[in-house]
Amino acid sequence: MQNIRNFSIIAHIDHGKSTLADRFIQTCGGLTAREMGTKGQVLDSMEIERERGITIKAQCVTLNYKASDGEVYQLNFIDTPGHVDFSYEVSRSLEACEGALLVVDASQGVEAQSVANCYTAIDLGLEVMPVLNKIDLPAADADRVSQEIEDIIGIEAHDACRVSAKSGIGIDELLERLVKQIPPPVGDPDAPLQALIVDSWFDPYVGVIILVRIKHGRIRKSNKMQVMSTGRSFGVDSVGIFTPKRTESSELSAGQVGYIIAGMKEIDSAKVGDTITLTDRPATEALPGFKEVQPRVFAGMFPVEADDFNDFREALEKLTLNDSALQYEPENSSALGFGFRIGFLGLLHMEIVQERLEREYDLSLITTAPTVVYELLTTKDEVIQIHNPADLPEPNYIAEIREPIITAHILVPQEYLGSVISLCVDKRGVQTNMQYMGSQVTLTYEMPLSEVVMDFFDRLKSVSRGYASFDYDFKCFQAAKMVKVDILINSEKVDALAVILHEDQAQRRGREVADKMRELIPRQMFDIAIQAAIGRHIIARSTVKALRKNVLAKCYGGDVSRKRKLLDKQKKGKKRMKQFGKVEIPQEAFLAVLKIDSD
Amino acid sequence: MPEFSCLPPLSLYIHIPWCVRKCPYCDFNSHAVKHEIPESQYIDCLLNDLEQQLPGIWGRRLSSIFIGGGTPSLFSAEGIHRLLSGIRARMQTVATMEITLEANPGTFEQEKFNGFYEAGINRLSIGIQSFDSDKLKRLGRIHDGREAIQAIETARKAGFENINLDLMFALPEQTIEQGLADLQTAIQLQPSHISWYQLTIEPNTYFYTHPPVTPDDELSFECQLQGQALLASAGYAQYEISAYARNGQQCKHNLNYWEFGDYLAIGAGAHGKISRADDQSIHRYWQVRKPEDYMDATLRTAGKEILSEKDRVFEFMLNALRLKQGFDLELFENHTGLSRKLIEADCATAIDSGLLTQQGNRLHATDRGYLFLNELINMFS
Repeated sequence: MQNIRNFSIIAHIDHGKSTLADRFIQTCGGLTAREMGTKGQVLDSMEIERERGITIKAQCVTLNYKASDGEVYQLNFIDTPGHVDFSYEVSRSLEACEGALLVVDASQGVEAQSVANCYTAIDLGLEVMPVLNKIDLPAADADRVSQEIEDIIGIEAHDACRVSAKSGIGIDELLERLVKQIPPPVGDPDAPLQALIVDSWFDPYVGVIILVRIKHGRIRKSNKMQVMSTGRSFGVDSVGIFTPKRTESSELSAGQVGYIIAGMKEIDSAKVGDTITLTDRPATEALPGFKEVQPRVFAGMFPVEADDFNDFREALEKLTLNDSALQYEPENSSALGFGFRIGFLGLLHMEIVQERLEREYDLSLITTAPTVVYELLTTKDEVIQIHNPADLPEPNYIAEIREPIITAHILVPQEYLGSVISLCVDKRGVQTNMQYMGSQVTLTYEMPLSEVVMDFFDRLKSVSRGYASFDYDFKCFQAAKMVKVDILINSEKVDALAVILHEDQAQRRGREVADKMRELIPRQMFDIAIQAAIGRHIIARSTVKALRKNVLAKCYGGDVSRKRKLLDKQKKGKKRMKQFGKVEIPQEAFLAVLKIDSD
Repeated sequence: MPEFSCLPPLSLYIHIPWCVRKCPYCDFNSHAVKHEIPESQYIDCLLNDLEQQLPGIWGRRLSSIFIGGGTPSLFSAEGIHRLLSGIRARMQTVATMEITLEANPGTFEQEKFNGFYEAGINRLSIGIQSFDSDKLKRLGRIHDGREAIQAIETARKAGFENINLDLMFALPEQTIEQGLADLQTAIQLQPSHISWYQLTIEPNTYFYTHPPVTPDDELSFECQLQGQALLASAGYAQYEISAYARNGQQCKHNLNYWEFGDYLAIGAGAHGKISRADDQSIHRYWQVRKPEDYMDATLRTAGKEILSEKDRVFEFMLNALRLKQGFDLELFENHTGLSRKLIEADCATAIDSGLLTQQGNRLHATDRGYLFLNELINMFS
């Protein structure tokens, strides 16, 4: 156990985590150059992960590193998901480690998301090692960034490793320092088994693969194991490590990170953060920190073609095999037909799911504006949850609406402080803390999640020229004066366009939504009237003027195939539109409320 | 089983792919002349191309010829003469065959046009576009307003009576008044035919990547309405979206396109369409685009397809609904080889939506359908 080092990498998107991981694998000989392939970023196995530079699922690789002291060390690198939506998953990945590398782009500096994860790591007692990456870029300023790390995070950073994962500079020293600085795991291999579930995913051939960190005890093939939160037992089919190829081994014991396959059919049976023990000699307690993840944001998704509904359902079933945070229930909209109300961890999670559905399952979908979950106290004293603005009962049944509040941590250079504060105020934020740290300021706000879901992130980036960064935790539900704003198209209510807004902003936002919709709905053969209404009271109106004509000026013999293509294109453009009465509404219009530019 | 009771009329399209220079709005297969046009060699290739296509139309008579471009009037009168004689030697033609040549002002020498007339050209289509020298410059044309008028005079002197003027509106920064003034000038010149188009910015043109400021929808629509009234009052009856003719002097060759007739195609990048009685099929084919490749090739056809039932219906509608008069269901059956039953349901939907109307066997777009023709045509795809 003395020669095991478990660590993960904390890094902002694009700061080079995946490239560094590739470099480690290559240095330790985990894969041949051919196996590394030309694409690189071995651990980001999903196409979307690679494209967006985000890791969605945690992954792990075990590498053998022969250090200069002659010892061979087993390095277990756990790649963590990298976005605010997945902060719980990140904390469980960190819990499995004794150390973390804080990788910071030497030309960019520290970002809020890294700060938040770093604090989590420090709170969990991890040894955090700063690493400055991209040191070979002309814009790199290692001294400034080192100072920034010390100022903001408060860890010694002046002798931080300076590397370039891309060109391989400093990688050997980094590995040497890693085995010296990061402590070996502690744990009793002879105690009853406590294995922390770091992640789990579904493999069509073997069922659920569970990534675990063994805290105490040991587990081997044909043991009978038990998941502690549910008490359900499973026979162990195989255990092993990732090199990064899945490689079976005789056992996993205290301190190690590896996989367990136990004939599970659903990843819900192995939830992240849960504890696995052995049935015949169970641990007395589960490991601390387990919680069930709750979707915070809901949106309706509807197939553009009604015929695709069954394919859509099957696709969702397949996606949930690998994504336990994804929840869905059927939804029937008078405007959009049959679809599903889907719960997500956050906006990024939503985008990823939508993209995967469209790309991997070739579905054409309309997504309605995401809304947060509201808690409602009815006049009959019942508490219900509202996932859909259309479900909001009439005002006389509502005693109180409670909206979700988050704690937002924002890191911003001083020069943009003023504009970030006014943005937070505009978003109904209440400041709870402000601290100067070198040239940066950390702000803590309590803020309604609904405001964050709207357009907070984009606007934060725009008012700070991209320098402010942001992270959040759910805090509580809190009573607020919310109203439902309906959107009417040619005098008919479109349920899928309804939004819940704060009373103070409903008038203004309602107007802005109607204006934005006018821009987003293309001109058609008829005038289209757009109205926003609260109850029966119309608060805004705008009109999409009818087109004058839609006809090709020229068409002769030789043109025919070209003109056919042109009309085909016009028709395809309509494919992403939903027919509502005579009016065709494009996907973007359903998200109009997110696209209001209130500057 | 669908069947042609008789084959549709047969036209011939000849493409001459050279221009003095390429205009920024033009998306046709045209190439600026670099050195000298290999006229004689190209004409050999055209005739050879035609010969290779003869087996597919054996026994059928030509009812019209259209020499388009490019700028065919860059060719010499002798060249055109040799080309037309070559065609007559190889094919049967109807007695009063319409033979159109496209010509651009700036290439009008009296002697040459006398020669074109003698060679048998009996209709000229002149690419005026505008009489406004500033606008002509913006359009990249090589002529000015004065030369435009002179071109028509030259044509008349050579003996041409059947003359079309090509004119555009909604030009960059054009006012309604300027647009109408162009039209007014054209009308005063008393051509037999006017083609009056709205400038459209097409992909793969200079204007597409460097869009000029053109009048907005409202302005250009207003110009269109006033212009159409002007044309009507001067006796030019609209018979197609952009085509207006006096005294029934419609372009027979183009009418054949719009009635989904057949046409052979020779020349670089030319497209043809041929119906065949033996297997009841309709073929489309197109020749290689680049003049050099076309002249090098032993096999000049670059691609071909057989139209499916759906293609036939859609392409028929794409063409025939452009005609103000629409079409007769009998013509539909004869020229597509399909039963009218096939389109009954779609026609009913289109009639319901107010875009199409039916009188007896004749179907045509309503006034509204004529403005939203793309919507109407798409109902048949």
